[in-house]
Amino acid sequence: MSMYNFVAGPLLWLSFAVFVIGLVVRIVTFLKVSREKDKIIYQHFNWRYVLLTFARWLMPINPTVAKTPAYFLLVYVFHFCLLVVPVFLQGHIILWEESRFGWTWPALPHLLADLMTLVFITVAALFLLRRVLSRDLRLLSDFSDYALLVVAGLPFVTGYWVTHGTLDAVLSRYTMQIIHTLSGELMLVMIPLSKLSHFVLFFFSRGASAVEFGRRGYSM
Amino acid sequence: MAEATNPKAINPQEIMDFLKPRVGARFKTWLDICAHCALCADTCHFYLASGKDPNMIPPRKVRFLKEILKKKGKVDKAYLDQVYHTIYHECNMCRRCTMYCPFGIDIALMISLLRAMLTSQGIIPEGLRRAIENYKATGNQMAVTKEEWVDTIQWCEEEASAELVGLKIPIDKKGAKLLYTVNAREPKFYPQDIMEVAKIFYVAGEDWTLPSESGWDDTNLAMFAGDVKTAKTIVENTFKRAEELEVKQVAITE
Repeated sequence: MSMYNFVAGPLLWLSFAVFVIGLVVRIVTFLKVSREKDKIIYQHFNWRYVLLTFARWLMPINPTVAKTPAYFLLVYVFHFCLLVVPVFLQGHIILWEESRFGWTWPALPHLLADLMTLVFITVAALFLLRRVLSRDLRLLSDFSDYALLVVAGLPFVTGYWVTHGTLDAVLSRYTMQIIHTLSGELMLVMIPLSKLSHFVLFFFSRGASAVEFGRRGYSM
Repeated sequence: MAEATNPKAINPQEIMDFLKPRVGARFKTWLDICAHCALCADTCHFYLASGKDPNMIPPRKVRFLKEILKKKGKVDKAYLDQVYHTIYHECNMCRRCTMYCPFGIDIALMISLLRAMLTSQGIIPEGLRRAIENYKATGNQMAVTKEEWVDTIQWCEEEASAELVGLKIPIDKKGAKLLYTVNAREPKFYPQDIMEVAKIFYVAGEDWTLPSESGWDDTNLAMFAGDVKTAKTIVENTFKRAEELEVKQVAITE
């Protein structure tokens, strides 16, 4: 088995398995532990507060956006690109179509995908710079805060290089493809294993607080 | 506020035994996912009032919880003193940061847990410790006995009715519309406040009553030490009185 076949084969399977099972474990753990130790959520549970808080924070209609509009715009752009580009990239969809699943769905136009990639890389770099330059953020940050920004940025950087052959003079397209796939797999694996787990835990954390604040008369 | 008292040695096992059943799914999630984005920084009045001291940023103040869990409770006195200073003097659990946190992380709840943990180790402001003892013994923070309380009300009624003839302060009046509660400092130090209220109610023609049994003190200082059990008893007392007297509403001063 060639190196690429391994990375794009068993290793990819493993990464997806860690990603899916890891997230399921996160969710099940939250539900299980909270049933026992956070009874307040269930005693006062109300979909109204929960759904409203999701809506307000998944869309920019919350007090923090009003307080720091520029930064929050970047936060939304960052997350939007992060979620949309990998899923709707033509190159990725082709791989799904060629796989045993044979799945396919509409792709982003090349130009838009490129643009979103570059925007994402820029915003990620700005976030990293902000973290390094701000005295407050330096004090708060631990290693993972810096590292995870890099982990999230790498698939985009290497993906851009693969698509455009930027580093063809230095590394073969083949090697670059392996590096890109590995960086994507690292990202997938890190989602359940790190604070990137807010991918799903965001909903549980916000939901729980919304119930507690909601029952006190503040729909957050 | 008086400094902490700490009569006993620190016991890591006890710390963990206290924290483990209380650190639930929410606490774990919050400690795990806080992105350290610092959007909460300038929502904190301690941060703003301290000339933006970065140690006043809310997640900075609950790092202790993460650290204590990681160290399995093996911390020393100096460390707990630092925790004490932060969670009592640099956060008053107002929850404003939570309203601005994208994840809705409840910092105040974690501060409260840390306070409760310190209380379990005997580290608690002297004033709070005394107040909690009083609540447990008498149902109010000032250790006013039932006799003293009823006597004070009757004396207040006498005084106030000299000014407004016919004024009454109804005690344990069943079926009154309003159950009125006070800060225990009022019967102890400021009975004139009770008289003023009685006058207002009299002139307004309000149907109100004061309970003779505990439940009339609407302060809940136990809550500030994270003593959930006592805090619950205090609230339950008021609810009990309201149910017994079949009132429609409970009025809380302050």
